[in-house]
Amino acid sequence: MIEPFTVPFMGRALAELALLALVCGPVSVFVFARRLSFVSDALTHTVFPGVVVGFLAGGIEGIVVGALVAGVVTAVALTLLSRGGALSDDAATAVVLTAMFSIGVVLVSRRSSYTSDLTSFLFGRILTVTPRQIAETAVLAVVILGLLLISARALVFRTFDPAGAAAAGFRIAGLDLLLNIIVALVVVAAVRAVGTILVVALLIVPAATARMLTARLPLMAVIGTGLILVAAYGGLLASWTASVDHGISLTSASAVVLLLVLAYLLLLPLGALRSRRKHGRIISSEARRSPHELVG
Amino acid sequence: MNWWDDALHRATAEVLLAGALAGLVGVHVVLRRLSFFTMALTHATFPGVVAASIIGVNIVVGGVVAGAIVALGVAALSRHKSQNTAAATGVLLSGGFALGAGLVATQNGFSRDLTSFLVGSILTVSPQDLGTTAVVLVVVAAVLLACARPLRYTGFDRTGAQAAGFATGVWDVVLLLAIQVAVVTIVPAIGTILALALIVAPAAAARQWSHRLSVITALAVTLGALSGLGGLYASSRWDVAAGASITLTATAILALSTVLSRLVRSRPTATGRLRAFPA
Repeated sequence: MIEPFTVPFMGRALAELALLALVCGPVSVFVFARRLSFVSDALTHTVFPGVVVGFLAGGIEGIVVGALVAGVVTAVALTLLSRGGALSDDAATAVVLTAMFSIGVVLVSRRSSYTSDLTSFLFGRILTVTPRQIAETAVLAVVILGLLLISARALVFRTFDPAGAAAAGFRIAGLDLLLNIIVALVVVAAVRAVGTILVVALLIVPAATARMLTARLPLMAVIGTGLILVAAYGGLLASWTASVDHGISLTSASAVVLLLVLAYLLLLPLGALRSRRKHGRIISSEARRSPHELVG
Repeated sequence: MNWWDDALHRATAEVLLAGALAGLVGVHVVLRRLSFFTMALTHATFPGVVAASIIGVNIVVGGVVAGAIVALGVAALSRHKSQNTAAATGVLLSGGFALGAGLVATQNGFSRDLTSFLVGSILTVSPQDLGTTAVVLVVVAAVLLACARPLRYTGFDRTGAQAAGFATGVWDVVLLLAIQVAVVTIVPAIGTILALALIVAPAAAARQWSHRLSVITALAVTLGALSGLGGLYASSRWDVAAGASITLTATAILALSTVLSRLVRSRPTATGRLRAFPA
């Protein structure tokens, strides 16, 4: 069962996903508890204009820098708009997402063949990950984990008791910005190697699945990382077996995501059972913030 | 030569119809904070569309079926105690999209269609697309008008509506299904990103000008159609992608509305000033 991974490109794909697993386990816990699913989805789209500008300005090397700049700009814009009060935060996120993505499309649409660039941006090329990309991901992973380690206590305080955190002297706006930037860094680290679909799934599904098993945050992070590792191994193996032995082309990114979602669906009944037994010890049951809120 | 033979004429008609339809459902999307649900729908109905085109059924039918599954799935998952709705919506979004992308990969030479599905190709809209959009516009408008009272009551005062004997869960599902049908209809013609922009931005802009639902709805429909026309003009004038320029026009209208409505409101009375600058 390890034989496919002795092929260099399979080994590199697994290494890249293992690095992402280390980062996405803990980050997805915050994405889950702070309900940042839409923000993560938006960030995967808003780095696109940065990728285009970076590529036009500096070739392949410029992409990461461009994406970093676009990611940070988005994080700042989302934090400012959601505190401004003119728009509800989900509408603000939708508008920033569509506007920035469209700027990217306007920029590429002036070049001749943009459809293949766009497709590879969306779906990634996990099987063609280069050692250089792995090194970039590793550096960003160290930065992200370092930021999380320093700020985890404050972030948890702000998540579950915003008023208390503000009274204790934490700057809520700064913490919100920090978390948005952390998510942006994850997206930048991952998006070129694995594509948007897989990044969104890695940021949302692990913690949502782990939440069915436990309500303790550190445990959720560990379970999330473990889940990603298992799904990465299983997905790559399945896509290898399907295409080598059976001649079916199964995209590896899709296979990994589908395994993650499968785990979520399988654990759903368990979660229902748990919440029935332990009534009242539910971590993210903050009341609906507005009477019209139905989703989000 | 028939007036409909010109691609730009068809695009103009489609943009007017889609803008009106998006404005209608957009008001509910913005007031009830369903933007992420809308985004999830645009991606999660993708496997339905692909499967329908593989087996050769009308793609709108495939999309509506997939959308109904997603809408009911979100409604069911968000009743789950340990799950928040944002996470449940996100799981359905990524699962659905991955399934669709996986299906696409099994077919050869599908990636062109995939791109046009995402960024839209309003200039290649067909007369059938126009017909479907018109029919759905009438149906959705009729449903929203007929159910206006319970929908409004449920949206603004859920406990009150329950006490008055409305089945709030059922009305939520009615609203989600109406949004779903609208999204599925306009996505193949104009693409996912433009659909989201046309649904959220004009309605959010209209919300800045009024507190009355009827005024907001009328304004949202008008602004949606206006963004479409302005964007098409800019696209042909400066030779950029049509979907992107319509999105940017809608965003500009929203930004202008936010600034202007604050200026207008902060002038006359003290209460107006209070409302314009919430603490």
